[in-house]
Amino acid sequence: MKISFTINSRKRDLELQPNETLLNVLRKNGLTEVKSGCEEGECGACLVLLDGKPVNSCQVLAMSVRSKKITTVKGIGTLHSPHIIQKAFAQGGADQCGFCSPGMVLAAYSLLQKNPNPTREEIAEGLDGNLCRCTGYVKIVEAVHEAASKLRNEKSQAE
Amino acid sequence: MLPNSIQWYFPTKVKEAAKLIHKDGIILHGGGTKILEPQPRSSVKGLVDISALGLNYIKVTGNIVHIGSGATFADVVAWSRDKKRLTVLSDSLSHAASTPLRNRITIGGSIKDFPMWSNLYAPLLALDAKIDIIGERSGIFSLEEYATSPLIKSKHLVREIRVVEKHDIRSGVKIFHVVRFEYPIFTIAAACTMDKNIVRDARIFVTGVKKKLVRLVTAEKVFRGHSISDELINSAANQVSLTFVPDYKFGAAYKEKVAKVYFKDLLREIKESIR
Amino acid sequence: MFKYVKHSVEKIDGLALVTGEEHYTNDFSFRNMLYVSILHSTFPYAKIEDIDDSAARAMDGVVEVLSYKNVKKILYTTAGQGFPEPSPYDSVLFGDVMRFVGDNVCAVAAETKEIADAALAKVKVRYKQLKPVLDFEKAEGSSTVIHQDDGAFPKIPVFYDASKNIAAKVEAEVGNFDDAFAKSPKKIEHQFYVPYASHCALEPHAAVSYLDFRGRLVIISSTQVPFHVRRIVSVVAEIPVSKIRVIKPRIGGGFGGKQEVLLEPIVALVTWRTKRPAKLVYSRKEVFTSTRTRHQYRTTFKVGYNKDGAINALHLDALENSGGYGSHALTVLANAGSKTLPLLNKIQNLKFTGRGVYTNLPVGGAYRGYGATEAYFGYGQIVDMVCEDTGCDIVEYYKKWTIKSGETSPIFKALGEGKEGVAMIVTSTSLNECIHVGAKLSGWYEKRKLYGGDFNKGKRDKRGIGMVALMQGSAIPEIDMASAYMKMNDDGSFNLMVGATDLGTGSDTVLAQIASEVLDTPVEKFIVTSSDTDHTPFDTGAYASSTTYLSGHAVKKCAESIKNQILKVGADLLTVSIGEVEVEESRVVVRRKGKQDHHQEVSFAEICQSSLYQKNQFQIQATASHVSPKSPPPFAAHFIEIEVDTFTGIIKLLNYVATVDCGTPINPVLAEGQAEGAIVNGIAYALFEDYYFSPQGILLNDTFGKYGMLTAHDIPPITVKLVDSFEESGPFGAKSISEININGALPGIANAFFNATGKRLHRAPFMPEYVLSVINE
Ligand SMILES: Cc1cc2nc3c(=O)[nH]c(=O)nc-3n(C[C@H](O)[C@H](O)[C@H](O)COP(=O)(O)OP(=O)(O)OC[C@H]3O[C@@H](n4cnc5c(N)ncnc54)[C@H](O)[C@@H]3O)c2cc1C
Ligand code: FES
Ligand code: FES
Repeated sequence: MKISFTINSRKRDLELQPNETLLNVLRKNGLTEVKSGCEEGECGACLVLLDGKPVNSCQVLAMSVRSKKITTVKGIGTLHSPHIIQKAFAQGGADQCGFCSPGMVLAAYSLLQKNPNPTREEIAEGLDGNLCRCTGYVKIVEAVHEAASKLRNEKSQAE
Repeated sequence: MLPNSIQWYFPTKVKEAAKLIHKDGIILHGGGTKILEPQPRSSVKGLVDISALGLNYIKVTGNIVHIGSGATFADVVAWSRDKKRLTVLSDSLSHAASTPLRNRITIGGSIKDFPMWSNLYAPLLALDAKIDIIGERSGIFSLEEYATSPLIKSKHLVREIRVVEKHDIRSGVKIFHVVRFEYPIFTIAAACTMDKNIVRDARIFVTGVKKKLVRLVTAEKVFRGHSISDELINSAANQVSLTFVPDYKFGAAYKEKVAKVYFKDLLREIKESIR
Repeated sequence: MFKYVKHSVEKIDGLALVTGEEHYTNDFSFRNMLYVSILHSTFPYAKIEDIDDSAARAMDGVVEVLSYKNVKKILYTTAGQGFPEPSPYDSVLFGDVMRFVGDNVCAVAAETKEIADAALAKVKVRYKQLKPVLDFEKAEGSSTVIHQDDGAFPKIPVFYDASKNIAAKVEAEVGNFDDAFAKSPKKIEHQFYVPYASHCALEPHAAVSYLDFRGRLVIISSTQVPFHVRRIVSVVAEIPVSKIRVIKPRIGGGFGGKQEVLLEPIVALVTWRTKRPAKLVYSRKEVFTSTRTRHQYRTTFKVGYNKDGAINALHLDALENSGGYGSHALTVLANAGSKTLPLLNKIQNLKFTGRGVYTNLPVGGAYRGYGATEAYFGYGQIVDMVCEDTGCDIVEYYKKWTIKSGETSPIFKALGEGKEGVAMIVTSTSLNECIHVGAKLSGWYEKRKLYGGDFNKGKRDKRGIGMVALMQGSAIPEIDMASAYMKMNDDGSFNLMVGATDLGTGSDTVLAQIASEVLDTPVEKFIVTSSDTDHTPFDTGAYASSTTYLSGHAVKKCAESIKNQILKVGADLLTVSIGEVEVEESRVVVRRKGKQDHHQEVSFAEICQSSLYQKNQFQIQATASHVSPKSPPPFAAHFIEIEVDTFTGIIKLLNYVATVDCGTPINPVLAEGQAEGAIVNGIAYALFEDYYFSPQGILLNDTFGKYGMLTAHDIPPITVKLVDSFEESGPFGAKSISEININGALPGIANAFFNATGKRLHRAPFMPEYVLSVINE
């Protein structure tokens, strides 16, 4: 059956089975920027924003979120117009293999939306669902910190 | 794995939902995190999603906090931190699973499912929460009764959890896990109702034990009518006996040992908070 | 001094990664593709008497079932190593003997993954269970022989005795250990255990294959070793090398786990037989059980020393659990000695004995650290013990006794990889500087004294600080080969093709920086293609800490050859002699009397256009290969501060300082990232990671949640400081950095624990229950 979702601000009708996870549905429909690292809710590679909130798409039955807004990492910035967080990740060496990055960037994005000036402890809590085996998290936490301050500057300049 | 033939229902009325689950093989869908656990679920024929039932609330009437079964762990943590109320709940639930999972895991699903690693039960039991259910048995029950009787196994929908908020209560929670994102091995929560610095009533619960849940009745008695002192804590701890199931990471005796240490730590913290 | 090297250039694939543009193996799908699922053995040791796949084949959508019944049994090793491999040929793609829970029974290819999975349940397997060996200390000479009558043999002339379950044996001695030990006034003997571990690369192993327009087989794979994949698939699937192309897309981490040829031959066979694309992606559980692991080890150290702390004699005996097959058994074992023993090179009498034994447990393989991690747990502690016992300051001790520039260790020659090693003189080290800087950054002197004194008396939470010095290697000398190819384009840009395999380490960027430095041209001008066996030249692959040092050297040579060609064309265009020109900022300029004449210059673009279109036409291009005559060790010093809850046994890390000598860090941020990642993996391995088995040999904690992965929440403050040295034999002075830093946590934390409690840890991981038992001993 076809069910409609709003993905990265675009309305899309996706083919799905009633027992399928959102992760499967997204990937099958070409949204391969959503990664699959465990399918058990334990790595965060599949993280997407559901109505703005981070969820593990492998832990969500697609049918249960029909007609909701879904944001993947491409929804917050693209290669040609990257988000400040994405730039901070790339510049700060927060991405090694990059497999955790789409989920990690979205988790950071959601955190900074709620809390524009997080402490290191709060950053760590915001990223507690995202595993990274490459970086040891040091540069990831730094990049989020850096991005937060850039975003605050940008905001205060706009005001 | 769920069969690909399952039916979805999206009722908008609680009664409608409660009726749907009377049929065999039709179950409620809260956050779906338990339902998605990798195990065969060929008996499941239908899922009744609760998200349109209007149960996703946390509201206060008088001194009663009502937590709708559709509220997520994240909702409860945010509310509790923001309002600085029932902080034992945010202290506990902020340690459950992870940020993205807490955005999905619902109170209702977690109450009905009651996993060994639950972060939810011990603090709610300590706070003497009530549960409002509708189904084979309907009504308002104490959560303690619900969890320790066949009620929990009956077919029903959890409508809400109620906690009476008292200002003379001191409560706290301790969770044992070695890394952040790991299933808790046990959770201990305690709530003491105080008359100045005298304990009028105490409720102390441990989850993750062999029987899943145990109330430390003898320890509670030690404190009742007294002010909490280190001697009292030690003597209460000596009377605590907990039976755990060994697992591949920890032996039963070790778990009990740590549980006693945490028990003392917890009561000492409560003691400190009174001063 | 350098313009592009030693600069933290942004990774060339960075933005594409963080915006989700890059593709990993599982992101490739093809029309008409089949999905493959594997049936794994549920018994640790069993003979398959019969497989009946008729019910599975009868299912709608099932296209092919592969098992020993229809796949030829060709002995090979799954280890992705150079040829002939030092690992025994003891594996077949599908056999009729299952040697561990997770071994491959058969593969089903079907129209969808769901059908393939469902079909697995319909395959009827009749097993005859055999008595397994589940304790590696009892494997040698056990009545259960794990490789029996299967023809398993060593491909190279080394000791191998399957009848005694010995997969590998390594022995070496310099001086006379027994004699010197007997004469030593002081002696200690200690035994240490380290557990199995999973690499936990976030991307599970995956392979996709299809036939190209001309019927050649294309394999896209999450591999560290594309050229070994091509060679090995050719052998086991019986497809000529000329008909195989292996493409390595982006890889989601490897750490050694993908230096193994496991999935590729299976998809290859499915595609070759059905002519249809095929995809196989392992589940996380399969990655834990059926791919490769870090070998479980027992190490025994016997040390004889004098009252002043001078060690006369040291014997390291290592027992390695190879699991059901001997992948990397020999070489990991050898490295347990060769990457530790040369560190204190003044010890005259050294002995190394090691055996790798078969068991009916998961298979070991390559894992960051490769034997060194396993051995440093004990090595780093016995140094602390000797110092403790003789009143030496461990920091000064290391400064005095470790190998220095201009020195050698006889171990380099005595312990090679399946053959004699290569004698080598160390020509670069800043280890003493590392130790000095690390001691300062960590507050070593004050804290060591403080915690060793009354500070901890009567406290529940006790603090301690420990340190350890480390070395590793850079590439396998006279065995590994890397090559690079470069060509110049009209606009002065270059294609750089390397067989070196970027797994997320950033090696594409690092290699581009090396070429940049040679040609004085920005990194953006290099279009890097890594690892496509049709388009990039050979490289042994990403392992043995070789990419920057070895492949980097090949790139440097290649770029130098390009530079010569550019200079020649440039000089010609400027009508001067080649001796009068030099390369500067993407131009060739004339230099007269040591001064540049800026009126006489020609841009790279003009040079290339001339060479392609105008005069003496030719393609400016070059290729270069490199084999290293040595494996210069990187060095490091780690300082770790901990707090132990003596009531629960929980160890909390308070601070971690690592100072690292990787020669010249070509890209400091990426180098730090390698160190930080290794450190955190090392901490996790020291404190939490383990494989727990049921009495039936079934892995119990086969998910991330049960395994106990660290999140950003669990890490202590980590400071990594690079302390450069200059390695003449490396590109622009570089050595390796990727592996060494995983070795520090085990001994460093254990030493800190001793400082805090006066007790020694002999068993990893330091789970609180074990730690508490040690405290209460
Ligand atoms: C990786 C992972 C880690 C976890 N870690 C923790 C942890 O640390 N601590 C912790 O406490 N929990 C943890 N959990 C959550 C826990 O294991 C359960 O999955 C969760 O509590 C189920 O809640 P849910 O809302 O997703 O329920 P669902 O999966 O939707 O449902 C669970 C059960 O409850 C029933 N149900 C759902 N809603 C209702 C309702 N309103 N009334 C009656 N019955 C209902 C369903 O029919 C089903 O039988 C973790 C889960 C995962 C996947
Ligand atoms: S794939 Fe969803 S959490 Fe790992
Ligand atoms: S960068 Fe590889 S997992 Fe995070």
